[in-house]
Amino acid sequence: MVFPSPTPQTPEGLKDWLPEEARRKRLLENRLIGLFGQWGYREVITPSFEYLSTLSAGNAPEAESRLFKLIDRHGRILALRPDMTTPIARLVGARLKGEPWPLRLCYAANVFRFEQTQAGRQREFYQAGVELLGVGGGMADAEVIALAVESLKACGLIGFKVGIGQVAVARGILSELALDAAAARELELAVFRKDMVSVEVLLERHGVAAGERRRITRLFSLHGGREALAEAIGQVGDTPAGVALAGLGDLWDGLEAYGVAEHVFLDLGILRDFDYYTGIVFEGYAAGMGFPVLGGGRYDRLLEGYGAAAPATGFALGIERVLMAAGNVEEKASPPDCLVGGGDLAWAMGRARDLRSRGMAVEVDLVGHTAAQLTEMARHRGIPMVVVPEEE
Amino acid sequence: MGMQQLVIALPKGKLGEEALGVMDRAGLPVAGVATESRKLVFDFPGEGIKYIICRPTDIPTYVDYGAADLGVVGKDTIVEAGADVFELVDLKFGYCRFVVAVPRVFWEQGPPDLNRLDRCRVATKFPRVAADYFASRGMQVEVVKLHGNIELAPQVGLAEVIVDIVSTGRTLQENDLVAVTDIFHATARLIANRVSYRIKYHRLQEVVEALKGVVGNGG
Repeated sequence: MVFPSPTPQTPEGLKDWLPEEARRKRLLENRLIGLFGQWGYREVITPSFEYLSTLSAGNAPEAESRLFKLIDRHGRILALRPDMTTPIARLVGARLKGEPWPLRLCYAANVFRFEQTQAGRQREFYQAGVELLGVGGGMADAEVIALAVESLKACGLIGFKVGIGQVAVARGILSELALDAAAARELELAVFRKDMVSVEVLLERHGVAAGERRRITRLFSLHGGREALAEAIGQVGDTPAGVALAGLGDLWDGLEAYGVAEHVFLDLGILRDFDYYTGIVFEGYAAGMGFPVLGGGRYDRLLEGYGAAAPATGFALGIERVLMAAGNVEEKASPPDCLVGGGDLAWAMGRARDLRSRGMAVEVDLVGHTAAQLTEMARHRGIPMVVVPEEE
Repeated sequence: MGMQQLVIALPKGKLGEEALGVMDRAGLPVAGVATESRKLVFDFPGEGIKYIICRPTDIPTYVDYGAADLGVVGKDTIVEAGADVFELVDLKFGYCRFVVAVPRVFWEQGPPDLNRLDRCRVATKFPRVAADYFASRGMQVEVVKLHGNIELAPQVGLAEVIVDIVSTGRTLQENDLVAVTDIFHATARLIANRVSYRIKYHRLQEVVEALKGVVGNGG
């Protein structure tokens, strides 16, 4: 049913930011960009849309269906960016190749995805994040994950956790089973969705013995710190998955050195839904929020597609989700310091200029309210001071 | 900090009663909980458990948004809802089959070939399941969404085919319909919110293990 609407509508999945929301968003983004700067990350800005071929290079074909596309006057297909990682990979390959590695870049930007608008998913949303390009290894992962923890702290979240997985472990274990491509994909999807019932059923259907099934489901349900890691290493032994797990030991050393180990845990079932991830992946969870507020990981193959073969890692934090999760701990907006009016406008503007130059936030009354009306307005809005001409 | 509270969403009706039976055997508090009363919230602060009673089709939504940490719901409902939730335990009760059924007379007139149903109209309560199933077989059908009494549709010319869940098959028989293929089998599942699963892992895992112990799941 379509209701007749007297007001112009916005397309589904898009929203306006009203003053109080916009204020909180700006505050949060500034705080995050400031924090990233303290860790040596420099902000970059890329175009909102790019050639479709640029944005789809690093992703699975099915990801293309989530892009908003348009056609330019020359018939070329363009797409709105679905994240910032791919545009930054393009930017680095095209513009910053000459700079010494590692590069540390950060951003706060809007991204666009065609999604069912439910469960906190909008079609335009904001992300703030970092990319650490040109260094591999656990210490680079540790830096980025430690910064992710510090970011969630800076957002004022309490009781948050960062879960760490390693896609190479899952891929290694699945490849040892020597399933055909379709079955392997089906199993990977079931692990990714944490559909443990289907994982059991699929393993059984493909003739995996009971003991082996128990070992695999146990691995994907492990949860904890170093002790969980030690158990996982014991379970996989000397295999490609084992090598990938051993690397997590370095990562844990780094996280302890950064003093963030209490906020993180290992969960090998975390697999993120971007195909460009190649190693350690992680997600941030806030108490009381049904969806992750942050996600990231290592993507060592993406940059070579843009002419700058180099390992890389990074994360993005969902601004709307963090604002929702932090809703109760934020400070209130403050009204202006002062309301000026009650005389002629030239006088009011002069006074406002003078007060602003002294650092005050000043609102000028443009519609000729009386001193009494201004006082009442100021009381109502909590403005501490009213400046009107002195009585003759 | 006290014990972390778990919110568990239970379906109204028969499935909910069976769920309570399993919860009871798993050692969870169930005294006084009823899935068919006016009361919708049952709190056990001492044990850190709160049950909420929901319409079965809404349970994936409560869990997806994190309003409930855990939920008990049929696999049929999970598939139809398409919600992004973790599926942890097959609880093994509430067994039913998703079937494609047609009028017996029609089926006996020709060869037993599903392709005869291409380009037909399909009446169902589960439009997503029906559409996905026929699309995966490369067939074009028109899905007609109904809310109940699906068996009626072929008798009055609303649709040629139905997709529905059956447990015994008696309703089909009484309406002179015959199940021509199974789409999949469904049982009740324990589902979890993906953030609760990580943040409340240990608390939640106790419940998972206890339930697995009762229903006899491996793993």
